[in-house]
Amino acid sequence: MTAEQVLDLLRGAVVTVLEVDGASLGRSTRFVEDLRADSLALVEIVEMVEEDLIRTHPGFRIADEDLDRLLTLGDAVDYAVARLR
Amino acid sequence: MRVALDLLGGDHAPDAVIDGALLAVDRDPTVEVILVGPPDVAAELLAARGATLAVVPASESVAMDEQPVRGVRTKRDATVRTIHRLVREGAADAAVSVGPTGAVLAGAVLTLGRLTSRPAVAVVVPTAGGPVVLLDAGATSEGTPEQLVAFAVLGSAYAEVLGVRQPRVGLLNVGAEPGKGDQLRKAAFALLEQAPVRFVGNVEGHDVPHGGPADVVVTDGFTGNVLLKAVEAASARSDLPRSALLLGVAGVSVVGHGAARADDVAACVLHAAELARQGLLPRLREVLSTREEAS
Repeated sequence: MTAEQVLDLLRGAVVTVLEVDGASLGRSTRFVEDLRADSLALVEIVEMVEEDLIRTHPGFRIADEDLDRLLTLGDAVDYAVARLR
Repeated sequence: MRVALDLLGGDHAPDAVIDGALLAVDRDPTVEVILVGPPDVAAELLAARGATLAVVPASESVAMDEQPVRGVRTKRDATVRTIHRLVREGAADAAVSVGPTGAVLAGAVLTLGRLTSRPAVAVVVPTAGGPVVLLDAGATSEGTPEQLVAFAVLGSAYAEVLGVRQPRVGLLNVGAEPGKGDQLRKAAFALLEQAPVRFVGNVEGHDVPHGGPADVVVTDGFTGNVLLKAVEAASARSDLPRSALLLGVAGVSVVGHGAARADDVAACVLHAAELARQGLLPRLREVLSTREEAS
């Protein structure tokens, strides 16, 4: 799966959970500062993306200890792409 | 009505939970309780009481002192996830827990999903003038003006489902006059004047137990929780609610006090069953969609 495809999945999850305009979301968008996502919204987004990716990559999971390091959409995309290889 | 009940939630679990479950089915034999927890614990407690209830396994609970979202995230087999999964899968009509509210909310949102942007804990306080819906009573500690507007829309829809026509919405504040309060209240006041609800302005704390100016009282979860507990402690009334609804999640989910005893657990179970029986969710969806079309 390409980084662009993962970004699309992530963008979809962010739009669903936070009800923001998908067109405004880019790799540099920050979850907390720009999107005002709280801890529950962040986990919702993570679990939504996991649910999508698990269909093609069984067992895919974002490690809980890594969550705090994913500050932007780009961080999350790079993390997922590296794990999907 | 089938109610999935968290066996491990609350200060007095599992004994108070199982006794509450048995009280509930005794009081209303049309209610079926599904205990969610470790099967060996449930079997032992049921055998000691000579009782039989359905049991669905779940091995973990989220502790009161644990960060609730992180707890639910790491514990995939947590009871607060499983009770809501049963509702999502149609195996139960409602979920009940007297565990930590934050964890129950996280379990509900992550498993059932949201009905609207921001779920809230809603409590219905009976007053001489009719029911007053107070929200948020504890789901979100730091509210924003936009969230208070979302609560107003949600609470107003809930009041309509409860039979209140054109519910009046008040903003909880330290005085009735416009311009009162902190930045959050002032900003929320301005937004509420433009919101698709019948906003009647500021109301005060005593307007919740006494009723009068508003059918729906909106506030942030921190203030709402403090007010609710003060009302409960200061009042000798026995008709105050012992259960609250997680309003805004896509299913019926009822929470109770962590200190709940068997009688309180039974009240939560019967409340949840009644809400499911009344078709709360489809009716809420209908009211919200009618309002969306009208706005």
